[in-house]
Amino acid sequence: MASGIFIVPLLTVFGHIEIHQAIGASIISVIACSCGSAATFLNTRYTNVRLAIVLEVATTLGALTGVLLAGIVPVPFLFFLFAIILFVSAQQMLAKRGDRISQSQDAGSSPWATRLRLHSSYPDSLLGGEAKYEVQRLPAGMVLMYGAGMISALLGIGSGVLKIPAMDTALRLPIKVSSGTSNFMIGVTAAASAGAYFVRGNIVSTLAGPVAVGSIVGAVLGARILMRVSNERLRVLFVVVLVALGVQMLLESVGIHLFKSTT
Amino acid sequence: MNPRAADVSPLESLLAKFLLYGTWLASSVIAIGCGLLAIEARSATPDSTETLPLGCVTAGIALLILLPVVRVAIMLWFFLRARDYRLAIAAALVLSTIAAGVAIGIR
Repeated sequence: MASGIFIVPLLTVFGHIEIHQAIGASIISVIACSCGSAATFLNTRYTNVRLAIVLEVATTLGALTGVLLAGIVPVPFLFFLFAIILFVSAQQMLAKRGDRISQSQDAGSSPWATRLRLHSSYPDSLLGGEAKYEVQRLPAGMVLMYGAGMISALLGIGSGVLKIPAMDTALRLPIKVSSGTSNFMIGVTAAASAGAYFVRGNIVSTLAGPVAVGSIVGAVLGARILMRVSNERLRVLFVVVLVALGVQMLLESVGIHLFKSTT
Repeated sequence: MNPRAADVSPLESLLAKFLLYGTWLASSVIAIGCGLLAIEARSATPDSTETLPLGCVTAGIALLILLPVVRVAIMLWFFLRARDYRLAIAAALVLSTIAAGVAIGIR
């Protein structure tokens, strides 16, 4: 679960920070968290780097579109879009993602994926050996990834929330592979928009710096705390927080500020 | 759960090390800059011209943004060496899209 989705709502609703600055700060944290955890996924071979580079063509193009749109899209719409993404995340948290034991409902491996040699295998502890998988419906996956890249750039999030369904439903990857590959791609997608925002001067160092350090410390501490809390409780907590923040963002989009600035 | 080290390809192993140490380096630079900013905020005179702490934070942020970009460049180099031209084209496309984003930002 990415922490990026919480940064913009917290900074805008409670910190009263302008949404574009909040997005700039958030995207830097997203890069830090993706790069920081990439090694773990790579060393366990859950990351399909060949598939990642192909899908990144679509996510970075999406990010470029997002950068172009960012200046045009009205602020209330950004809040509204963010609310939707928070609700979708909450819904995904509620619906448990199970691992498909078999790929029985095969659409057949994608000819493009075969040509690019994207099919691979990963070590599966349950099966006690190598589990082979085939990449399916690559073009559909690319289209979904383009959308995910655009949302990532517009809202300053990793948008794993959109990448993972794309990998589940279109590419039909095992859950561990989609988590590892999605995490790996998030960094490049975020860097594509962050690079543009950085040279444009949208990234305020005094805000983005502390937020990045805070989210890295938070990620390290969070992982330790998560070990001690039951999964079920955590899921309920996440759903409640996501829905609460979603409602907040929805209210902001129509100009209702529950937490008014006191300064 | 733990695959044998030999199972992890040289590319994956290199990328893992690069991203891990790179993140540590970039975030340490940002953290040092933030620490200096905090000290400066307490002690400095209001019209302080000291820009080192802020420059430190900005440099760390720039490093962090460069990490994934260099990661794609490493992949491009690996695919070219392996004569895997289709994936090399994909990596080149990703790099040029990022460059286009920066060019749009400068404009």
